[in-house]
Amino acid sequence: MSDESRTPVALAGLRADDPHLEPSARNPHVVEAVIAALLVVGILFVAGFGAAYWVNAKPWILGATLGGGLLFLGLGLIAWGKYLMPRGPFVEERHPLANDETEREALAAVLVDRGASVVKRRPLLGGLLGGGMGIFGIVALFPLLRSLGPLPKGTLFHTDWRKGSYLVDQTGRRIHEGDLAVGSIVTVFPEGTENTDRGQAVDQTVLIRLSNFDFVTQKGRATWGPKGYVAYSKLCTHLGCPVGLYEQQLQLLVCPCHQSMFNVTDGAIPTFGPAPRPLPQLPLYIDAQGYLRAQADYDQPVGPGFWERGRS
Amino acid sequence: MSDVAGATTTKRARRHGAGRYGRLGQVVNELDDRLGVAKGGRTFLDKIFPDHWSFMLGEIALYSFLVLLVTGVFLTFYYVPSSALVTYHGPYLPLDGQRVTQAYASTVNLSFSVRAGLLMRQMHHWACDIFVGALVVHMARVFFTGAFRKPRELNWTIGVTLLTLAIANGFLGYSLPDDLVSGTGIRIAYSIMLSIPVVGTYLAFFVFGGNFPGTAIIPRFFILHVLIIPLVILGLVGAHLTLLVRQKHTQFPGPGREENNVVGSPMFPVFMAKTTGYLFAVSGVTALLGAFAQINPIWQFGPYDASRISYAVQPDWYMGFLDGALRIFPAWSFMGFGHTIPLEVTIPAVIFPGIVFGLAYAWPALERRVTGDHAIHHLLDRPSWRPKRTAAGVAVLALLSALFVASSTDVIANFFHVSLNTVLWAMRFIVILSPFVAYPITYKICKELQGVHGAGKRKTPNLVIRTDEGEYVAEPTPAYPEDVHDELEPTPVPTYIEQPEPESTAPGVRVVER
Amino acid sequence: MVRRPPLAHVSLAAVAAALALGPLALLAGAAGAAPGPFQTTRHNAGTPNSSQVTRNASGQIVSYGDKWITYRAPSAALTQLGQALYMENCASCHGTEANGVPAPGTVGAYPNLVGLGPATIDFWIVSGRMPAADPTAVQAPRRQPRLTPRQAEAIAAWINSLLPSYPYIPDPHVKRANVATGMALFALNCAACHTIEGDGDALAYATFAPSLRHIPAYQVAEAIRTGPGNMPRFTGNLSDQQVNDIVAYVTKYIQHPENPGGFGLGQLGPVAEGFVALVIGVGLLALIAYWIGERA
Repeated sequence: MSDESRTPVALAGLRADDPHLEPSARNPHVVEAVIAALLVVGILFVAGFGAAYWVNAKPWILGATLGGGLLFLGLGLIAWGKYLMPRGPFVEERHPLANDETEREALAAVLVDRGASVVKRRPLLGGLLGGGMGIFGIVALFPLLRSLGPLPKGTLFHTDWRKGSYLVDQTGRRIHEGDLAVGSIVTVFPEGTENTDRGQAVDQTVLIRLSNFDFVTQKGRATWGPKGYVAYSKLCTHLGCPVGLYEQQLQLLVCPCHQSMFNVTDGAIPTFGPAPRPLPQLPLYIDAQGYLRAQADYDQPVGPGFWERGRS
Repeated sequence: MSDVAGATTTKRARRHGAGRYGRLGQVVNELDDRLGVAKGGRTFLDKIFPDHWSFMLGEIALYSFLVLLVTGVFLTFYYVPSSALVTYHGPYLPLDGQRVTQAYASTVNLSFSVRAGLLMRQMHHWACDIFVGALVVHMARVFFTGAFRKPRELNWTIGVTLLTLAIANGFLGYSLPDDLVSGTGIRIAYSIMLSIPVVGTYLAFFVFGGNFPGTAIIPRFFILHVLIIPLVILGLVGAHLTLLVRQKHTQFPGPGREENNVVGSPMFPVFMAKTTGYLFAVSGVTALLGAFAQINPIWQFGPYDASRISYAVQPDWYMGFLDGALRIFPAWSFMGFGHTIPLEVTIPAVIFPGIVFGLAYAWPALERRVTGDHAIHHLLDRPSWRPKRTAAGVAVLALLSALFVASSTDVIANFFHVSLNTVLWAMRFIVILSPFVAYPITYKICKELQGVHGAGKRKTPNLVIRTDEGEYVAEPTPAYPEDVHDELEPTPVPTYIEQPEPESTAPGVRVVER
Repeated sequence: MVRRPPLAHVSLAAVAAALALGPLALLAGAAGAAPGPFQTTRHNAGTPNSSQVTRNASGQIVSYGDKWITYRAPSAALTQLGQALYMENCASCHGTEANGVPAPGTVGAYPNLVGLGPATIDFWIVSGRMPAADPTAVQAPRRQPRLTPRQAEAIAAWINSLLPSYPYIPDPHVKRANVATGMALFALNCAACHTIEGDGDALAYATFAPSLRHIPAYQVAEAIRTGPGNMPRFTGNLSDQQVNDIVAYVTKYIQHPENPGGFGLGQLGPVAEGFVALVIGVGLLALIAYWIGERA
């Protein structure tokens, strides 16, 4: 090395007699050539990435050049470290982290004698300080938490279905009694909510045509399924996924998320899977013009369970 | 070298007052004058890193996190965290004219219309999958070798926290594009919050700013995902590494490797070269995956709409065990006293992961109590030396893996043409049985390995020769040539390196003494 | 049959085989049976939105009144051929009158074919599901068809001659379709079973939603309009224009997905992605680590 200023990093020219400082490669010149080749390939790839970016090439070309470049540069550098640098192994002493007994005593003395005794001597101030911090912590939680959202109140108990709500599909078209064949299904909303977040998330309902005659799914629901039309909340009672999977021969609604299965002919009682409750049924009627409308809101909260939900 | 050049060199050297180590030495002097870095810096550069390959696993996590930071910063330039509705217009026709949220539109835009945007997005997602995977593998290494024992319990705790945060942030990031699949995931997360007794509804309303879906959740997830959680992760990574330097590495026992030393390669330059190369390799592999393997094609999923759903939606792999637990848990809802406790959700999705991570946090203390071993350990165990610990770890991994498989009941049923209901019942049994099968098998294997001399070393064949007398004699063959290496006894890092004296006869070069 | 690219096969097989094979085999018989018989209930052909319907003299629907799908009646000239083919291929199960035969002891009864409409008959034959390879199977899989499309049309013509009925064989005009509407409708109506990528998957008990990857446009339209097997039928709630949009989205983007990001991983989603990340990503990097470090 002729340039003296560069000597500190150069490990070349070390005394040859210390085997620890020798590279582990048996044939350093060959290895050096291989590493040089790796680095050159890497540099070419990286340059290729620049070119590919410049001409806005396809994503896979960008990724291939960038990834190839980084990988080859990395492999070259690793090989350099592994084969051409001092092979070691070197050892380093490990000194115990723990201090001796006097040091510990000293620290403990500072904490106890100087700190605790100050508080003990003025218990009133100490108590006020501790209590104040505690109260501040609790009070600070109020704006932090409470401002985040409204209180639930009754919003989880009701949907936007009302007495007389028209059933409309996603495009807002009212459903007529002649629209669905037996075995058909359509997702419906109360008119006016079909394009709102709440309509889609809470009010969504599946309308299925089971037969041509009035269909009774449960005792006490004699009028709920006019001309074979039955409607259930589309929110799974397990985790609220839309139960959009209808198998018309099995007469099952299946939740696509966790495969709860609901029998649509007997009030959507779950027959399999993790859902604990039947899907609530929406009572329907057909008005004089032949349009399907709701008799009332659901008789229970829709969707997954929660603490305040009560027994029904 | 000509005289002129030599003269220039000398002059410059003199102007900077170069000592024996030239300009860099001068930099060191100036820095040390102000900061006093010489001693600490030297100790740092001399730090010994064990050479065993398994010590690199944590670096996969560290470097994929760096990739996450870099690609993530790129993504924030184009992503718009807003639930406001816009009409998408762009090169992908099936979405053209659809009403979508800004979050979704901007994610599709940055995939299709921003130069290298799709590559960066895919690299980000792949790096995340690799990040969490590497954390798990690294954690398994630490667990099975007992590296978490005193004095490293605090670092173990930090590590478990990092895993939790990584999983949480992965879920948040997965949710940001607001596509059909991730939206379903947010819906499920909302319902899981609802299921928590007493405070569940309040928690869900405060997190989501009201009833699901609302418009607050995307910006909130965004700030958590890009600022708050990454900051916490960064801080904890810093603490993790600081503790590592302070406490020094563990090491496997071996020739010259004792409780009171560390054997390996020095930080500078050997380890630095290797680890920098590894950083490049990790980024390179991530970029190659981003180039050739499409991940999360949200344009095919379409925008989220709470009334739409796709079958066969699954979360990213690290959330799979939760999904599996939710699938197989029976419909046990508690109703009474005017209240509902949705145990079918609370137990698998809140209590169960709480127990798993709680167990991970508590393990070092539990093990100390059970074994009564309060000593400081720097030498690692081989997993077979601690059959009970190893078996317990394998049992938990088996349980989580079985739950992960259970999140794919539909895919399995479709692949094997078996009834979906059958598969689900089978998975219920498999999940329950898996730890009880895994534990005794692992325990037995460990016990057997303890009895094998030279386990893990390559065997040499014995030659059985029939002698002329008809007698059979077994003769061991010599070891494989590459297995025989003269392992050097470790030596201290040399304090200084003897330089050959510069030849003063060289033209124009003089040693200037200070 | 569900077709997946090889990579997906490998990953699926590896994930599934490891833990599922043994116990599955034991339990396969136990819980697989479906509750109750499978019945085809086709009492009501359904009426579309009244404003769009065109009816013939006898009051039957001949069209939805718009130009997006042409419904083609099977050629009456094929009726004779159709009868012969029917007797040869179908009569043993469905009866010489095509009015179905109850088949006690089997999973499904052989349904009445009269009045189902030519599109239904055509769909089951051209998709290879009929004549059934295994009449007792819970669900007939798509196969290489045994009869040609012309033969299928002939059989449909004969059955239609017994009681003329709707729907006819559809011919959607996908070039005029709006794939954006198609995608939205697909996500709302189809993805719940066939998945958003159109790969299909296992449904309740041993039923499954078939893959949509290799299905001609007119067969997609037939399936939507007639609701084969467990699939619900979409009649009055989807207009011809909407059906045409869905068919266009399926045949263009489901069957030929744009994968600008590289290999599609079988459109399988996070399971395949996780597998790739762990095995190729972490695995490859661990191999490099193995090379970097010492093994002792």
